[in-house]
Amino acid sequence: MSIKALTLALAATTALASTAIAQEKIKIGVSIPAATHGWAGGLNWHAQEAEKRIEAANPNIDITLVTADSPADQAGDIEDLVSVQQINALVVLPFESDPLVEPVRMAKESGAFITVVDRGLPDTSIQDVYVAGNNTELGSVSAEYFKTRLGEGDNIVILRGIPTVIDTERFDAFMKGIEGSGINVLDNQFANWNRDDGFEVMQDFLSRFPDIDGVWAQDDDIAMGVVEAVRQAGREGDMFIVGGAGMKDVIKGIMDGDELIPVDVLYPPAMIATAMDVTVANFTSNGPVQGEYILGAPLVTKDNAEQFYFPDSPF
Amino acid sequence: MTVSVPEAHKAPKGFRIDLKTAGPLLALVLLIILGYSLNPAFLNEGNVTNLLTRSAFIGIIAVGATFVITAGGIDLSVGSMAAFIAGMMILIMNAAVDSWGASLATVLLGIGCSLILGIGAGFINGFLTTKAKIEAFIVTLGTMGIYRSLITYFADGGTLSLNNGAREIYRPVYYDSFLRIPYPVWVFIIVAVIGWILMNRTAFGRYCMAIGSNEQVARYSAIKVDRIRTWTYVLQGLCVSLATIIYVPRLGSASSATGVLWELEAIAAVIIGGTVLKGGFGRIGGTVIGALILTAIGNILNLTDIISNYLNGAVQGIIIVAAVYLQRGSLTSKRKKAE
Amino acid sequence: MSEGAGAAVPPILSAHRISKSFGEIPVLFSIDFDIRPGEVHAIIGENGAGKSTLIKILSGLEQPTSGTITYQGQQVTLPPNGEAAALGIVVIHQELLLAEHLTVADSIFLGREMQSGGFLKLRKMRAAARTILDTLHVNLDPDARINTLSVADKQMVEIAKAISQDARVIIMDEPTAVLSVAETRTFFEQIRRLTAQGVAIVFISHKLDEIMELADRVTVLRDGQLIATVGTENLTPDSIAQMMVGRELSNLYPPKHEPDVDSEVMLSVRDLSAPGISGISFDLKRGEILGFAGLIGSGRTAVAEAIVGLTKKTSGSVTLKGQTSDFTDVSKSVAAGLAYMTKDRKGRGLLLNAGLTPNLTLLTLNKHLKNGFLDGSSETKALERAVRRFDIRARDPSVPVGKLSGGNQQKLMLGKTMESEPDIVIMDEPTRGIDVGTKQQIYHIIAALAAEGKAIIVISSEMQEVIGLSHRVVVMRQGRMAGMLEGAEITEAEIMRYAAGIKQGGEDDRLSA
Repeated sequence: MSIKALTLALAATTALASTAIAQEKIKIGVSIPAATHGWAGGLNWHAQEAEKRIEAANPNIDITLVTADSPADQAGDIEDLVSVQQINALVVLPFESDPLVEPVRMAKESGAFITVVDRGLPDTSIQDVYVAGNNTELGSVSAEYFKTRLGEGDNIVILRGIPTVIDTERFDAFMKGIEGSGINVLDNQFANWNRDDGFEVMQDFLSRFPDIDGVWAQDDDIAMGVVEAVRQAGREGDMFIVGGAGMKDVIKGIMDGDELIPVDVLYPPAMIATAMDVTVANFTSNGPVQGEYILGAPLVTKDNAEQFYFPDSPF
Repeated sequence: MTVSVPEAHKAPKGFRIDLKTAGPLLALVLLIILGYSLNPAFLNEGNVTNLLTRSAFIGIIAVGATFVITAGGIDLSVGSMAAFIAGMMILIMNAAVDSWGASLATVLLGIGCSLILGIGAGFINGFLTTKAKIEAFIVTLGTMGIYRSLITYFADGGTLSLNNGAREIYRPVYYDSFLRIPYPVWVFIIVAVIGWILMNRTAFGRYCMAIGSNEQVARYSAIKVDRIRTWTYVLQGLCVSLATIIYVPRLGSASSATGVLWELEAIAAVIIGGTVLKGGFGRIGGTVIGALILTAIGNILNLTDIISNYLNGAVQGIIIVAAVYLQRGSLTSKRKKAE
Repeated sequence: MSEGAGAAVPPILSAHRISKSFGEIPVLFSIDFDIRPGEVHAIIGENGAGKSTLIKILSGLEQPTSGTITYQGQQVTLPPNGEAAALGIVVIHQELLLAEHLTVADSIFLGREMQSGGFLKLRKMRAAARTILDTLHVNLDPDARINTLSVADKQMVEIAKAISQDARVIIMDEPTAVLSVAETRTFFEQIRRLTAQGVAIVFISHKLDEIMELADRVTVLRDGQLIATVGTENLTPDSIAQMMVGRELSNLYPPKHEPDVDSEVMLSVRDLSAPGISGISFDLKRGEILGFAGLIGSGRTAVAEAIVGLTKKTSGSVTLKGQTSDFTDVSKSVAAGLAYMTKDRKGRGLLLNAGLTPNLTLLTLNKHLKNGFLDGSSETKALERAVRRFDIRARDPSVPVGKLSGGNQQKLMLGKTMESEPDIVIMDEPTRGIDVGTKQQIYHIIAALAAEGKAIIVISSEMQEVIGLSHRVVVMRQGRMAGMLEGAEITEAEIMRYAAGIKQGGEDDRLSA
């Protein structure tokens, strides 16, 4: 704790110091949602790590990281980054796409280089770079795995996230993926990317359906809750669970050969670091950086799990 | 079985309360009938046990909230407080495991710390409202933000997980049963019975109602208003810590997503049960029923797919409003009879 | 219609054979009532006689079960919810219905704001308010907040509001109940000014002397029946009282039993100062009734509250039964045998939504604990005891006390206070807003308590009450003791002289210090 306080104090002093010599530096603003759930926690951690790493490697780069609790909050953050910090580049992971179009456009008009992460803006002309995980691929890769394990007449249940575009893309791709396989989806319910909800929804699925062969939780937090519910019911032997994102506990389990969660599908919070690197590259490399960087959603298995394991990340 | 729990906590002389609680009770019965007709699995022992166990968290917190609200206060911090206490328990137990290994003592240490933290956090809310004379809404809105940030900070934005050794020792507290009733339900029953006695059979309960009804009358009637008010917040903190003690062994983890919106659910349970939001009148029996109603709604929605997932919130809203309408309706008819 | 005292002017508002039942309970039986322009017509009767129901019907707040209302020569059905105000019939309720945080001008025009294009014309309303207040000769700032005004001023605001609505009939429910003697004077002048302009005034009062002075005619109700409508010139206070209660009220005040000269001093106050009061010194003996007279705001209540610890005293000492006492809150003073009964029974005395029992035992709940739990049967016994002793009448003990009549509320509050078995009781306005019959009961209870050996302080704005009950009288003026009267000195004129500041100091040489 005291170390943490110290780093905070250090960060504060560096921030003060850097404003003093602000003019010569390239200022990059990073705006992301606050760590309100596990994945966002990982996002924050990777952003902070990247900030430290990039600033250490590039003395002329000054990164300001701000986190927001709501789209409105984030819009305010971006306005501040533009008007107060006068940033040269903005890396933004929008809370929601639509409400943030105008604030980001304003940043663009101030001359800043714009990198949009994960949730694309409806008007793609605003962004210079788009870095994203691949929700559709997450759905279809998961579906592929289910098809390898299950077949005609097998039953699965699905726990979804929060009703958003991300969730819909994942869900639709999954449903399309298992089409024709004969796998029977008993029901799907929202579990809000939350462990407690995952636990409760799964409890209810278990009392409702005597025969479940697989659970697609599409998120590792939900999957953790599902595991507890399945254990409580003593039905570990009947089914397997697939989450998503790449939480360290899950990756570790896969490395150790866990039967209940045998695989994971990656949707790495580390994408924010990628986006920051790409943005920095725009200023440090010779050529301009433009375009879309869509990260894959690889299947994490016992064989490749180790390369996705970040024991220090909170996620 | 679902019905027998609100019944069970009633003291023998509580007949008058039974009548007043008729509205929410009716709502609960209708909900049970609805649940059973949508899916007979609703009344399976396993599902009923799940439902009761789940309602225990909100229910226990709501019993505390009944006192706070009856005395004219409000506590918005309970959800964050639960998350914070859960996080601290896990950190403390993990640290203890690191130094002495996992044992029953580790778990007891965690439980003890939870109680101390809950009582302390409640006292802070009470002290700030009574002595610093800040509105309860603002004080608890403030502490709500503080606890939520603290848990996020300690968890680095991620999830705090309890050490596996300690987890195995602690796990039965949530998952095991006594007389086929899970321990969390026992805790809920005991808290509700004690709460009922406190509210209806002690001077403290009477004072809470007097203060909530008219603070001046209470003051002129030699009641130590500030002290009683502070006690209601301490009681609320204690209830939060009890709820946390049975929550932690469920998933063995805490994160900034823990306990989100519990404060609103607890307040809703209290109001559905017939306690008056502006104070002066509290019903523990009603609160228990309110908590069961809230949990049952979610459970029923999970047990059926006739309603689009996207409309879950709407269904919840309608049932909550209807339950309160039933309760107010019964009050009005009673008043008419009295005239 | 023509049965009045031979006047030629036709009534502006009249009611014929009005009956009213709530459910199956009849409360008014075939009442005739009328009021002429420029007339003051008093309605009098014991609590529960049906006065409030009658004025509610006259103002449209309630509709009669049968009977007709005629207004300005036409038979009408008055609109509900106070909309009759627009027709010129305005009610001023006893608990003045003003929003505490609005200004005087806001209040006068509340609900009828002058607007243009959705915006309030504040300046114009302020000026209009000023004009109205001026015509009433009331010196009030239109921008003053209601919560900074005295009760009397608030009442003037209500009257100004009525005038601004061009009221032809103003109906007032006990307008003088909360006014001091001087304020009542001003109020009477105001009424006369209004009647001179042709406004008709209907008012309810329990104060017979005021009725004699102000009213042209008096209507007496008893148990929902019309007993008589009589011109005031044909009445005496005694005859009114007799009509009200239907029996002879020979002894309104019980005979005084002087306490023994050498009886123990129970309460001794020396140089007490607290917010609003300073330099208060007096002794109270066992068996004595000490009256506190003075204008409203003269600090009588502040003295009581400082003694029992409701407010902090800044200096001075309070000695209780020979022991120096410094009460920091009420529970301590109660424990020491000193009880205070507030004058504000609705705001500070009783929980209006609760039943009789919780109210009765609230002050002394610790006496009803068995092993730490409330003992319901002990509380029930306490209620039975109090009902017998103080003649509290309620259909059902679980009925919210807010629904009881003022007299029964007052008796319940008295019961609550006496539950603590105090040796010293301070009663603040013990008979405010209650009928003569109940007043008489309370006076006898007070005298009996004194005879039992209690030491009693009675704070009252009704001079007759102070005179009729007290062995000695303290007169307060502007936060100080203006005089201490004893025996034959206790007269209305003498009290007024001290209260108004015409005379200073008294027999007691301590006071001249």
